Amino acid sequence: MSLTVEIRFTLNGSPTRAAVPPGLTALAMLRDIVGLTGTKYGCGEGECGACTILVDGLSVNSCLMFAVECDGRAITTVEGLAADPANDRLRDAFVEEGGVQCGFCTPGMIVQSKYLLSQHPHPSHEQIRRGLEGNLCRCTGYKKIIEAVAKAAEGTP
Amino acid sequence: MTVVAKSSLIGKRIPKMDAPEKAAGKTRYVQDINLPGQLIGKILRTDRVHARIVSIDTAAAKALPGVYAVLTAADIPKRGLGVNKDNPPLKGDKVRTIRDEIAAVAAETEEIALEALKLIKVVYEDLPILADPRQSTQPGAPVIQDAKPDNIAMTFDYAHGDVAQGEKESDVVVESEFYLHYVTHCCMGVSGIIADFEPTSGNLTLYSNTQVPFLHKREFSEVLGMDPGRIRIIQPPIGGGFGSKLDIYPFEPIAVYLAKAARRPVKLVFTREEEFLASPTRQPALCRLRSGAKKDGTLTFRAVDILLDNGGYTSWGATIPFVMMQTFSSLYRVPHCLFHTKAVYSNNPYAGSFRGYGNLQATFTVEQHMDMLAEKLGLDPLAIRMKNAQESGEVTGQGMVFTSCGFKECLTTAASRSDFARKFTDYAQQQSKPGNKKRGIGLAAMIHVGGGAKIYPSDGCGTILKMDDFGHVTIMTGASEIGQGSETVLAQLVCEELGLPLDAVSVVNNDTEVTPWDVGVHASRTTFIAGNSAIGAARKAKDKILNAAAKVTNMTADQLEMRGGFVVRAADGEMVMPLPKLLRSLHFSDKAELVMTTHYYEPSSVHQDKKFMGNVSATYAWAAQICEIEVDTDTGIVTLEKVTAAHDVGRVLNRMGLEGQIEGGIVMGQGYALTEDLMVRQGKVLNPGFRDYKLVTAPEIPEMDISFIESMDGEGPQGAKGVGEAPAICMAAAIANAIHNATGVRLTRLPFSPENVYRALVTAKGGVVE
Amino acid sequence: MVERYLAPTTLDEALKALAAGDATIVAGGTDVMPQSQAGRFKLGRTLVNIRRVAGLQGGAKEGDEIRLGALTTISQLREDAFIAKTLPVLAEAADHFASVQIRNMGTLGGNIGNASPAGDTLVPLLVLDAVVELRSAKGMRRLRLDEFFTGPGKTKRTPDELITNIFVPAPKPGFVARFAKFGTRPALDISAVSVGIAGIVKDGKISNVRVAYGAVAPTPVRGRAAEAALEGKTLDAATLAAAAKAAQGEVKPISDRRATAWYRREMIHNLVKKVLADVAHG
Ligand SMILES: Cc1cc2nc3c(=O)[nH]c(=O)nc-3n(C[C@H](O)[C@H](O)[C@H](O)COP(=O)(O)OP(=O)(O)OC[C@H]3O[C@@H](n4cnc5c(N)ncnc54)[C@H](O)[C@@H]3O)c2cc1C
Ligand code: FES
Ligand code: FES
Repeated sequence: MSLTVEIRFTLNGSPTRAAVPPGLTALAMLRDIVGLTGTKYGCGEGECGACTILVDGLSVNSCLMFAVECDGRAITTVEGLAADPANDRLRDAFVEEGGVQCGFCTPGMIVQSKYLLSQHPHPSHEQIRRGLEGNLCRCTGYKKIIEAVAKAAEGTP
Repeated sequence: MTVVAKSSLIGKRIPKMDAPEKAAGKTRYVQDINLPGQLIGKILRTDRVHARIVSIDTAAAKALPGVYAVLTAADIPKRGLGVNKDNPPLKGDKVRTIRDEIAAVAAETEEIALEALKLIKVVYEDLPILADPRQSTQPGAPVIQDAKPDNIAMTFDYAHGDVAQGEKESDVVVESEFYLHYVTHCCMGVSGIIADFEPTSGNLTLYSNTQVPFLHKREFSEVLGMDPGRIRIIQPPIGGGFGSKLDIYPFEPIAVYLAKAARRPVKLVFTREEEFLASPTRQPALCRLRSGAKKDGTLTFRAVDILLDNGGYTSWGATIPFVMMQTFSSLYRVPHCLFHTKAVYSNNPYAGSFRGYGNLQATFTVEQHMDMLAEKLGLDPLAIRMKNAQESGEVTGQGMVFTSCGFKECLTTAASRSDFARKFTDYAQQQSKPGNKKRGIGLAAMIHVGGGAKIYPSDGCGTILKMDDFGHVTIMTGASEIGQGSETVLAQLVCEELGLPLDAVSVVNNDTEVTPWDVGVHASRTTFIAGNSAIGAARKAKDKILNAAAKVTNMTADQLEMRGGFVVRAADGEMVMPLPKLLRSLHFSDKAELVMTTHYYEPSSVHQDKKFMGNVSATYAWAAQICEIEVDTDTGIVTLEKVTAAHDVGRVLNRMGLEGQIEGGIVMGQGYALTEDLMVRQGKVLNPGFRDYKLVTAPEIPEMDISFIESMDGEGPQGAKGVGEAPAICMAAAIANAIHNATGVRLTRLPFSPENVYRALVTAKGGVVE
Repeated sequence: MVERYLAPTTLDEALKALAAGDATIVAGGTDVMPQSQAGRFKLGRTLVNIRRVAGLQGGAKEGDEIRLGALTTISQLREDAFIAKTLPVLAEAADHFASVQIRNMGTLGGNIGNASPAGDTLVPLLVLDAVVELRSAKGMRRLRLDEFFTGPGKTKRTPDELITNIFVPAPKPGFVARFAKFGTRPALDISAVSVGIAGIVKDGKISNVRVAYGAVAPTPVRGRAAEAALEGKTLDAATLAAAAKAAQGEVKPISDRRATAWYRREMIHNLVKKVLADVAHG
């Protein structure tokens, strides 16, 4: 694929440019062109959530998004969340509640949890479970992840 | 006087040491590593189930710009992989399963590699398909492996007592046929490897997710015909293991052959579809079980005949009888036991090892029979189990020795916490009431190795421990970390010996060039074996430190102790000197010594003899799990509401890590019973993706009530046992028993998908199904 | 192979891009991307991303109709207050649809354009008597949704046409519509069967009945036999049983990896009963 499209977007707060083939996924762009490997490939078809990113504040599966669609948008990945101390509470909750085992699902879980808390700052147990329905985890059995999100929400104004 | 208080990390909730990096997206898994100049490797897999390869034409692929190597069987040594050495990395004569590897390409980009695969022309001559293992040993069945014309890959026979005698003594006998389906590991990180071969030095560096690096070194050297000393295996953090990385699989040597041929590093990572098609499954099984008991519930005998579908090649799946037979012979006291297993070749996918290693299958059958016997005898499920349950001090018919054994406590704890007796009776009475929602409760129990498993010549693990001048400890352990949290537990155990805080210890566990030998992460052995090994190394360091301190202080070593980073007086905790000061005084004096120790731990277990007799593990884990469910009789949907689990873990080391293992295992067991089904029809896999292969998701998990029984194992590290596999084992059996309690219908075929359950319910009511 | 990428911001630009030919429309991409990656869907030379086209979002009352913009996302259907109030059956369907991330991307127009027999908004839209508005550089036309689908992934839309809006009649007093999807998960499950039923319930009797099924035929379909069994009847046990039997008899599903034909028919029977019970209770 020789043809590429020049796009500009904000990546984790910084203006970014990339030349991407039109058929490329946002996931492949982030991992292979930009070199941010925190966002994971788990299935490539929207079923696992390992590739979750925020686009203009909405959580989406980056494996289903065309990279060219990033043009003009604000993209946030797990690395971007980690760089902002405002998200330490969420990350610490995952660590302290045991929400991380092999860790492969964790970036997607964290990004999705961030979105979930932006929608529901005081989520019910049920809202957390439903909010994570698009993120698979094979290790934890989800319980500690759900507890981590609940803990992160505690004390949020 | 400065007193240093005693503190202990044992039993606390300790976050995993590697969690902060993982949660920041910084951890680099094998998928995330890229070497300079690396090529992308891709494998051409057959779309035939059974066919002779007439010709493979790779000319066009080789001519494609950007392609550096194209290999077929003709280009590599003829050596088979796996338990029976029957699985050549690239197939040359014929293909036996849908996943079979026939050619491989290394190219500059993934796109070019995929383009090259399309250019390879393979001509086949189809052969008759053998898709039903019951046909494998019938006369005239197609032969799958020429070296095994009878299609029998492996057999296992075990017996104690005399089942004919047992039959005579029985007041009731039950017999059933059970079918256990295909499921697969679904590690969230797909399989991958990077092979870097330097032709001048002959050094091979592998970035690999193997769970058994030291066994792999040896296997690789055999397959590749190279000096094992030149092979270095680096293990990046792994996106889940669960047994899937216990064998060497074709993609691994293929990556090496590609790297050799291209003289560049080659990275080969699966797609999710490939992961479904081409990684091992859990062993499917067809079991015929016959069990008997006396009027009072005493078990009299058990006779079991098992057919294992070995698929086209032999990996660890064929060897699960090692573990299965323990459950048949020794979960309960059974005076007479006869066990026969046959693994037969077919054109289906092949099975590897998978968390629980045959025990989910065995427990599914045995624990349903316990309920069936109880029903016939008018006993309740708990009573019949208590009557026959093992206790400490027991030596079983198979020669297993039970030292610490909290089995009965597991049973009574789970039963009382779930209000089992009352609910079991209530739900049974409500079966015939109107309404489409039926509730049920079911119990199942298990035994599993908890102190390693002596299958290889050694079941040991080595540790190297070094201390720096500031009191920081680095332990180098042979035991890999696969996400289960062993690293944190090992650090805790070392802290406990040396009186240090957790952040004073780092663990190195990922490079065969650095770490000492270990047999591998399997059989729930890491906490027990690697833990004891780490404790051994720490004790040696402590001896050295306390002896040195004794000399300086004119006390004896046994009057001293290590606490909170200090050497203290044992009697009252009075601070004697800071540990770093002592270490520096050893290092920078005329003694010129560093604190560095090594330890190799080999458990007390023995190898089984040819008749499978012997105490294969240093200790055993026990558990009872109770599942409460609701069956919607209009749809067949079974909802798992609550799981009450009681596990004999020896001792709780890291409460949070332990809970995480149990919860994850329970949900994996839930998937096995209810949602997961790798549909194999005529050798083809119909659902190689998460859309139709359904893992349990967050909204579906049950309420979980988990209790730990601390039986304080005498040989375990701080009394602990291994429990990594235990929690998944009972689930399918407990759910089957619960469905029976809810509906009166006994399901002996997995999975309990809505349609399967609905069919069974309709059939039981005398309805017609199509 | 894709040679051009366009992201028009106005309807005219979008229609012009389609008029040029060999273009693939992308809205949320949740069908286009996985299907094209798997080689089941061939991308045209031009990729036309319509996501930024103005004026095709959200729902509003227009005269005696409700207009739903094709770019309304499934999340909007699920959470929008206007839709929850006027067409709760769509919010109900959206609640059982995929996952949060997919609902954030996927659109109503895409669900219709994809024309899957299991599309979860299609069954409720059928019972709502929906009409599809199509526009091209040449003009505009409206097609009834129950005449729009011609097969799995196939519709009467011509390649230069864009689905711009969906119109449904504003609900009359007493109007009730319910949807149920068979599945073990709350969402993220492709329907093995689904059922939608609507009608006007007055004094215990149901009229203007609409029944539709998903995943039992090459397209989502109306259940005319079940409708006939219900029209004008009192929603008592006998009616429910008769309608369920009629439904079971009229569907001709296939067996596939998700379910056998027999099981699908059984589930249609039981779901129709369940949904009718819901309808009877308002
Ligand atoms: C993991 C996963 C789960 C899913 N679960 C469900 C589910 O539960 N229920 C369900 O119904 N679907 C489900 N889907 C399918 C998909 O998400 C929906 O069909 C969605 O509504 C498609 O919308 P989109 O905007 O993403 O469509 P796109 O992928 O952008 O487009 C789909 C098709 O419609 C065409 N198209 C899009 N917009 C227009 C337009 N305005 N005019 C003309 N043609 C157009 C496109 O060219 C394409 O052919 C799932 C998909 C995934 C990946
Ligand atoms: S990789 Fe995107 S959802 Fe799985
Ligand atoms: S922690 Fe391993 S997949 Fe979630």
